[in-house]
Amino acid sequence: MTHTPEEIGQSIALLLPRLRRFARSLSRNLHDADDLVQSGVERAWRHMDQFKPGANLASWMFGIMRNAWLDNLRARRRRREVALPDDSGEHPAVSPVDTHTELWSVSEAMSKLPEEQRLAVALVLVEGLSYKEAAEVLEIPMGTLTSRLARGRTALAAALADNGSAP
Amino acid sequence: MSYEDEILMAYVDGELDAKLRAEISAALEKDPALARRVEQQRVIRARVVGAFDKVLNQPVPESLLRAARGPAAPEPSASRGNVLQFPVRPARAPAAPWRAREWVAMAASLMLGALISWQLLWPGVGAPIVAGRDALVAHGELARALDHQLASEQRGEEPVLIGLTFKAHDGNYCRSFEMRATRTAGIACRAGSDWQVTATDASALPQGQLQQASSALSPAILRAIEARADGAALDAEAERNAQLAGWKAP
Repeated sequence: MTHTPEEIGQSIALLLPRLRRFARSLSRNLHDADDLVQSGVERAWRHMDQFKPGANLASWMFGIMRNAWLDNLRARRRRREVALPDDSGEHPAVSPVDTHTELWSVSEAMSKLPEEQRLAVALVLVEGLSYKEAAEVLEIPMGTLTSRLARGRTALAAALADNGSAP
Repeated sequence: MSYEDEILMAYVDGELDAKLRAEISAALEKDPALARRVEQQRVIRARVVGAFDKVLNQPVPESLLRAARGPAAPEPSASRGNVLQFPVRPARAPAAPWRAREWVAMAASLMLGALISWQLLWPGVGAPIVAGRDALVAHGELARALDHQLASEQRGEEPVLIGLTFKAHDGNYCRSFEMRATRTAGIACRAGSDWQVTATDASALPQGQLQQASSALSPAILRAIEARADGAALDAEAERNAQLAGWKAP
């Protein structure tokens, strides 16, 4: 079954709240997160011919956003090496209203995870994908996914232990 | 028997097979240290899940909605303003004669600059939308379609086509619909045994696009859905289950 561009547009629009949540769990800066959604959606439309009818659109979009995010990080690192060799802060611009909230604490802890662990945590915990689905999105074996997820969670637990417990 | 963290994590995530799951559940009863480790896994899971969930309720920026509709989509300004958010009048509004109430609803829609076709409010048994006590409610064939029709089983020839079914923030089900005869799309939400029509877009189905339009939503209606929907639209199975449950809020 094929879909019209209108139907696909509709489906992507309905996914936007989830895509924003996913992006927000990868990037603690709200504007960076929405930029990531924007570039993910634009990329999806450019590569729409690669979407297999019947495939899960959400999983496909998560995969595209993961690639977009990794590309952004690489580009940012290159810029930093050229222009600002001493800038070690990833992106300090966090909205002040965000501080002292649970979202901020958890984002902060997430931002310290290695990228691969952050992706595993974002897909499984934040987005609720099964291990199998998440492994497919990340194109890694299940065992690799579960070990990244376990290490990510251990690190998060340690980072959040100093931050008090959830309200 | 000792278990690795990875196993306990999979237990908490619901990823273990039934046998191992039962084994761990039984072990938890007798082993407080194991129970503590599982509890720690639960806490970290709940914190991460809970922290980001609120992002779902934040309004989606217009620029993202535009991007989602794709490069070929028409500018949203073309249909902006055509969505009618019917104001819900107080429950104890004085009982006015039917015609007067319909006139009030009509006037309200004009004041909002919205287009609602007069045919929708015609008095009589065949009207698809009538003025209820505090809101406009679906009637006749529209009400029947909202009650019984499943989007997954439509042939596309029905007078009313059901689009998406979703859960609103208040837990009630809402369904988008399109009335082919009047080329009007809208959203109706369950209120008791009625379907309250909460938005319509009379420009949703331009002439000549009837076939495509059977499943495409106008940007205006889509925005109205996004404003109300709590989570994703129901899939075919969930839609059927909701129908079997009489559209009662889950």
